[in-house]
Amino acid sequence: MKIQLLYGTETGNAEMLCEDIETHLADDHEVALANLNDIDPADLDADTFHLVVCSTYGDGDLPASAQPFADTLETAGTDLSAIRFAIFGLGDSSYETYNQGSEKLAALLVKHGAKQVGDRAIHDAMGSDMAEDLALPWADDRIAQAADLFAET
Amino acid sequence: MPKIAIVGAGPSGCYVAQALLKLDKTLEVDILDRLPVPYGLVRYGVAPDHQGTKAVSRQFARLFERQGVRFIGNVTLGETVTLDELRAAYDVVVLALGLSKDRELDLPGRDLAGITGAGAVTRHWNDHPDEAAQVPHLGNRVVIVGQGNVAMDVLRILAKQEPDFDGSDLHPRHTDHITGAGVAQIDILGRSPAHEAKFDPVMVKELAKLEHVRFALDGIELSQGHDDDPRVAAVTALPQDVPVASHEVTFRFGWKPERLSGEEGRVSAAYFSRGDEELGLSCDSVITAIGFDSHIPGLRDDLLAQAEDRETGVVDKGLYLAGWFCRGPRGTIPDNRLAAQDLATRIVADLATGQATGQTTGQATGQGGEKPGRAALVATHPDLTDYDGWLRIDAAELAACTDGRVRAKVADLETLLALACAPAPGPATPETDE
Ligand SMILES: Cc1cc2nc3c(=O)[nH]c(=O)nc-3n(C[C@H](O)[C@H](O)[C@H](O)COP(=O)(O)OP(=O)(O)OC[C@H]3O[C@@H](n4cnc5c(N)ncnc54)[C@H](O)[C@@H]3O)c2cc1C
Ligand SMILES: Cc1cc2nc3c(=O)[nH]c(=O)nc-3n(C[C@H](O)[C@H](O)[C@H](O)COP(=O)(O)O)c2cc1C
Repeated sequence: MKIQLLYGTETGNAEMLCEDIETHLADDHEVALANLNDIDPADLDADTFHLVVCSTYGDGDLPASAQPFADTLETAGTDLSAIRFAIFGLGDSSYETYNQGSEKLAALLVKHGAKQVGDRAIHDAMGSDMAEDLALPWADDRIAQAADLFAET
Repeated sequence: MPKIAIVGAGPSGCYVAQALLKLDKTLEVDILDRLPVPYGLVRYGVAPDHQGTKAVSRQFARLFERQGVRFIGNVTLGETVTLDELRAAYDVVVLALGLSKDRELDLPGRDLAGITGAGAVTRHWNDHPDEAAQVPHLGNRVVIVGQGNVAMDVLRILAKQEPDFDGSDLHPRHTDHITGAGVAQIDILGRSPAHEAKFDPVMVKELAKLEHVRFALDGIELSQGHDDDPRVAAVTALPQDVPVASHEVTFRFGWKPERLSGEEGRVSAAYFSRGDEELGLSCDSVITAIGFDSHIPGLRDDLLAQAEDRETGVVDKGLYLAGWFCRGPRGTIPDNRLAAQDLATRIVADLATGQATGQTTGQATGQGGEKPGRAALVATHPDLTDYDGWLRIDAAELAACTDGRVRAKVADLETLLALACAPAPGPATPETDE
């Protein structure tokens, strides 16, 4: 099982977090890292487990670097039924639309058939947790769940 | 190994360093700033009650903590060091100095006391050492001219009450001052109708949460037929029917500022026009939030005039401009990140073709001629500060913090410098790793 880390970001926090996850996983896994901006929905691969990290902007919207991906997915209607992913959201609880970007992205992937592994986890920029303290265990856990699923198929 | 000096440790300078190192880990990057603290407007502009946005500085801390970038503080380009000196010492110089001077309201009465720029006010609230002593005059009735996001920051801070500042780093001396002034009525005016206003709708939505504020709208009819516009929706949703309110906030749209008048040298009224209508607002103070000056005679204008590519910030091979200092005082932190990535790509390309080096006058560089980099600075300037100095300031600020706050910033330059230089008696110098 290969792992593809994907981030949607504006100020770069999601990218840094993905780099941390990449470092954390690199010894035991084959890991690649990409900005959603550089990915076409058709590039997603059935033999790969996708770990998505995405922030929220505007009014609960996707960050700029995730928007082209979402737009292409909507218009092309790519079939993602062979794709598995887990998602981690970055947000700020002082906004009413707390972490809705990652929620929207997850819903969009699922709508196009992708299978979500485990619940979405979220980070609050106003809280006292470091994002990596939540995201590294999240990645380990979702990878373990995904490994079982990939083994079944 | 090419040596790169980035002057200005704001988001643009830091993002340029980050992007450069992503392209080439071996680059030797120093970030210089006139202050002993890094992060520019992330520390001194972004509102004290927007800690989530300030948290972007964690990325920049990585540069210094893990990626080998050196912070060199207390060095002012044009005072402590000249551009020629820097270009002689480094292969590449990037200027990311920002633009901090408030644009002045060019109106009769502008010299009256009680008129302050929003940049100065927000620097004061953010404890910028330049503005520490400049306590803005407020009073009961404040008029804010301008309706961009900075104007919204000013409005929000003025309209909040103590418990609303929980989790911020607004020093209690500022809340005491604002409360003590008894600010009760705030008029915020812009030239545009609501559907063309400059603020982001989320900034207005955030205001709607303040339960002690009664809002009123003037000129919303100019936006008839634009009900779907998110800005119109945001202002019309502001609570107007608030039985018990300590603050009245009136958004006025479509008003052009005309003149200011005063008594005994202090502003007491602001006048506006909208077509044939005139509006006079009596007030105790005026805060102008109409942007920042993009023209500072001298360095910036000269460099822009000779720039090879103004958009990207290429003056010539080896000298580059970034951020607000390059593109003018517009754009958000994310905008600067993208621009920094483009600039870094260009710098690395110039380095690869060997064009970015050896441009400086008098310095015998040629093939293999190594530039001295920071060693040249350290040799001539004994009182530079370093990243550990900032960490000592940071630790002191965190330790001093009081209930409901996340930090108590040090506003005074002497104390900042004393903390930054603390361990060694006498001046600290950044170590060189040779
Ligand atoms: C009040 C205010 C609030 C804002 N809030 C937000 C927000 O919430 N979200 C957002 O995305 N954007 C916000 N912005 C915009 C954001 O701050 C800017 O886009 C960004 O800071 C520009 O970065 P910069 O690095 O170009 O300039 P700056 O951040 O201004 O950094 C310039 C640096 O250069 C240093 N310097 C200046 N002159 C010299 C010299 N001669 N020698 C050495 N060093 C020097 C300064 O000390 C400073 O550290 C806000 C801006 C303001 C003014
Ligand atoms: C202008 C702006 C708007 C934001 N809007 C939201 C929002 O609606 N909901 C939310 O949960 N977080 C919001 N955030 C917080 C960001 O999602 C959070 O800071 C995150 O860490 C940014 O990650 P990034 O750097 O990867 O983009 C907003 C931040 C900014 C600066």
